[in-house]
Amino acid sequence: MWDTIAVWTAVFFTLGIYSILYRENPWYRIAESVYLGVAVGYGVSVDLLYIRNQWSGQWSASAGMMLLFAIIMVIGIMWYGRFNKNTFYLYRWPLAIVVGTGIGMALRTVIFAQFLEQIVAQTKTPFFVAGNMGATINNILIQIMVPSVLLYFWFTGTARESAPMKVVEKIARYTMMAGFGSAYGYTVLTRYSLFIGRSQFLLGIPPNAPENQLAFIAIAFIMLASMIGWDLTHKKTPEV
Amino acid sequence: MSIMDKINNLDRRIVYLLAWIFVLYPLIFPLGLPIPISSDARAWHSYVENNVKDGDTVIFTPMYGTSGMPELFPMTVATMKHLLEKDVKIVVLSFWTEGPLVFTALLRQVNPADFGYVYGVDWINLGYLPGSETAMGALATSFQNAVANDFVEGRPLSSFAIMDNIKTATDIDLIISFETGTPGAPEWLRQWNTPYGVPMIVGCIGVSVPGMIPYVNSGQVSALMPGLTVSAEYELLLQKPGLAVAGVDAVSTSHLLIVLLVVIGNIAYFLTKGDEK
Repeated sequence: MWDTIAVWTAVFFTLGIYSILYRENPWYRIAESVYLGVAVGYGVSVDLLYIRNQWSGQWSASAGMMLLFAIIMVIGIMWYGRFNKNTFYLYRWPLAIVVGTGIGMALRTVIFAQFLEQIVAQTKTPFFVAGNMGATINNILIQIMVPSVLLYFWFTGTARESAPMKVVEKIARYTMMAGFGSAYGYTVLTRYSLFIGRSQFLLGIPPNAPENQLAFIAIAFIMLASMIGWDLTHKKTPEV
Repeated sequence: MSIMDKINNLDRRIVYLLAWIFVLYPLIFPLGLPIPISSDARAWHSYVENNVKDGDTVIFTPMYGTSGMPELFPMTVATMKHLLEKDVKIVVLSFWTEGPLVFTALLRQVNPADFGYVYGVDWINLGYLPGSETAMGALATSFQNAVANDFVEGRPLSSFAIMDNIKTATDIDLIISFETGTPGAPEWLRQWNTPYGVPMIVGCIGVSVPGMIPYVNSGQVSALMPGLTVSAEYELLLQKPGLAVAGVDAVSTSHLLIVLLVVIGNIAYFLTKGDEK
């Protein structure tokens, strides 16, 4: 019984979201609003669960820790000061703490993890890989393209306008276009993967429940009929 | 209006309809297109097979929500099955709010007890840890301080046998992270890999792949599982075909559609370019 309700609800909201592909409509508005509300509600609930566990698990152990926990809670509540003009200034304190600790923690290793390691890897990349022509070509391209892109963003000095730099700039532009193209291709893959996953759910492909199919057909029919029917009866061309 | 003009001004709903057809048809009538095994899938399989030793402690972390499930869930399930065939300790946790939901969905398909794993002894679920990178750093210095109770039974970590030997990041042998964004691999690298030298392998959505490649080339990420198609290849390597294999035909046809639309759109654009002038 509950599984059936869950299936029909999930199919309804999936199709409700996809109904935007036809045009703006009330099904989409319902699905969008409920999704956002549930997502925020779920997020708040798991955060509260964590706080409760922290309290019962360790912070309630002594008077000193209880006091510290109370101070932390007050600082946390100050976040909500941003929702009122009169209390907005309170929000800056927890923001400062979070940003400060976050930057501090990241900075201690970022120079190694995301800068030096990449330079070392670049310098260690061999031009020639024995017995592997593909890797050799790949490595040669890396050794040419990476420095070219770095030089592209070097904006000072008269050398910037020299003839060799024009060649470097052209290589850099092609490199960046290849990079953006690759990112676009992978983005398409991701968006379609999402769509394929929901389609598998709608079609009831195992391990999804087979009864999804019936819900899919019934709800899709109701949504399409209501939208197309509305457009036809009101003789209004849907906005493209 | 010529055909080319009509193509240039094509109703976007036609494109969406074509997308539905190109995705649904191969799902309803599988085409059985060949799935060649890529080096990425082999590297991932080889790493889990050969580098994860019996007795190792692994952090298994679904760092994504329901929106990432279609692409990441198949690889998460397949990797968990692969891992459970070994004799390792598994710590499940997530720095994404919906991570525990994802893992609960995984447990409906894979039951660790079927592989002889006992909760609290061989594996444990720590649930969601708020705080993003800061929480990652805190967890690295002390599991007990960062997580008060486990997610499943709500008991203190000290009451579980598995946690006797897991105190800090130095007790962890591998991080397996499946992720859609921030926090993700860069945060793991900054808080765990660089300061403590904990190896990591990453499964990510396609969008993130170009950003991950430098970490793979530098050796910081030991193996990368980029998206749904490689998940399908990994499922084949494991001889456990699942949702990824079932969906890979649709990936091929949908990409074919995109290529066709790009080509037709460009032809129409260049043929009508002179008319506009």
